[in-house]
Amino acid sequence: MKKETLIAVIFGIALGGAVALFILIKGKDFELTKNKIISPKDAGRQEAIDQPVRVDFQVLEIQSPLDGAITDKKSISITGKVQKGSLLVIQSPVGDEVFVADKNDFQFDFPVALGENVIKIVAYPQDKTIRPQEKDLKIYYLDSEL
Amino acid sequence: MKTKIVNYLLVLLAVLILVSPSFAQTASPSASPTGEAEDSAIEQLKEKVANKVTEIRRKNNKAVAGTVVTKNAGNLRIKTNEDVEYEIKLDDALTKYFQILGVKKQEIEVEDIEVGDYAIVTGVQADNSITANTIFIDERFLVMTGKISQVDKENFTLTVVTTAKEQIDLDIESSTKQSMVNIKTNEAEVSGFTKIKEGDTIHFVVSRPLNSKEGSYSARKVLIIPQEYFLK
Repeated sequence: MKKETLIAVIFGIALGGAVALFILIKGKDFELTKNKIISPKDAGRQEAIDQPVRVDFQVLEIQSPLDGAITDKKSISITGKVQKGSLLVIQSPVGDEVFVADKNDFQFDFPVALGENVIKIVAYPQDKTIRPQEKDLKIYYLDSEL
Repeated sequence: MKTKIVNYLLVLLAVLILVSPSFAQTASPSASPTGEAEDSAIEQLKEKVANKVTEIRRKNNKAVAGTVVTKNAGNLRIKTNEDVEYEIKLDDALTKYFQILGVKKQEIEVEDIEVGDYAIVTGVQADNSITANTIFIDERFLVMTGKISQVDKENFTLTVVTTAKEQIDLDIESSTKQSMVNIKTNEAEVSGFTKIKEGDTIHFVVSRPLNSKEGSYSARKVLIIPQEYFLK
């Protein structure tokens, strides 16, 4: 193949690509201007003003242990995430723990009794307008099972 | 053109002849240091896989607990707090039975298990069926939270509306462990019934004996968060 032919083919492909891209972008703009907005223009904006979205808010998460887990130890380590400054209340038939989370992660040791241990973890955010969050864990301390 | 094709074919044939002996070669067994190193690496890999399997097994080892609703020869049915029913298959040779008594457990027989008992079952689970390895009979506890709507100072009872909008009457006995969050230090402190007010938030633990009046419990322990905490 001659050099001139090769250059012509490359230019042809590049030009074709550019035209296709132009049509694609302009076509989308045209579609957007053509479609009518059904809801009032400011509806979404007003809603956003009424209910500010707290993208930075850390909801209560328990990372370990898993619900229903079996342990062969008298104490377990509970780890998770919560909004900094929340009051955490953890209660089970054999233990109580109350503390304020000084960062978004928490970790503490919690006692368990032989058999089933129902543990309720409740986080009361510092911002009192936000509802408390709850998590329930069932941990089984069964020494002959592991 | 014909000679070109013939030339190409000749070159291809020559390449195939040169390459074929290397495919035909087989690895000869040898007790070389490289072989020993490979064996050691395989052993290490096997050990790592075994450790990982044990770790995953520990992590995924789960139990299911519920109230015994039916009992037949060779199987039980239990219903969890979430109203899910499980069929528990019993094996004469494999399944062991224990009663949990405080900090100890005592071996029992299958005949000792009754409808209404609270059972913790471990074993191989497939959907809603479990082939039981071990069954533990235990006391059932409920841990709940809610808001105090009424305080009866004469009868030492509290009416609580739980977060699930269930109304519960709580008897505060002399044995009930009572504590309250200090709103200044955010720490739980020992407290008394007289400090409890309507509107306070309560966390409580109750056990559910079968003959208990519906919606009425004797509290094992209560933890109060005074309403003032939420006004800070």
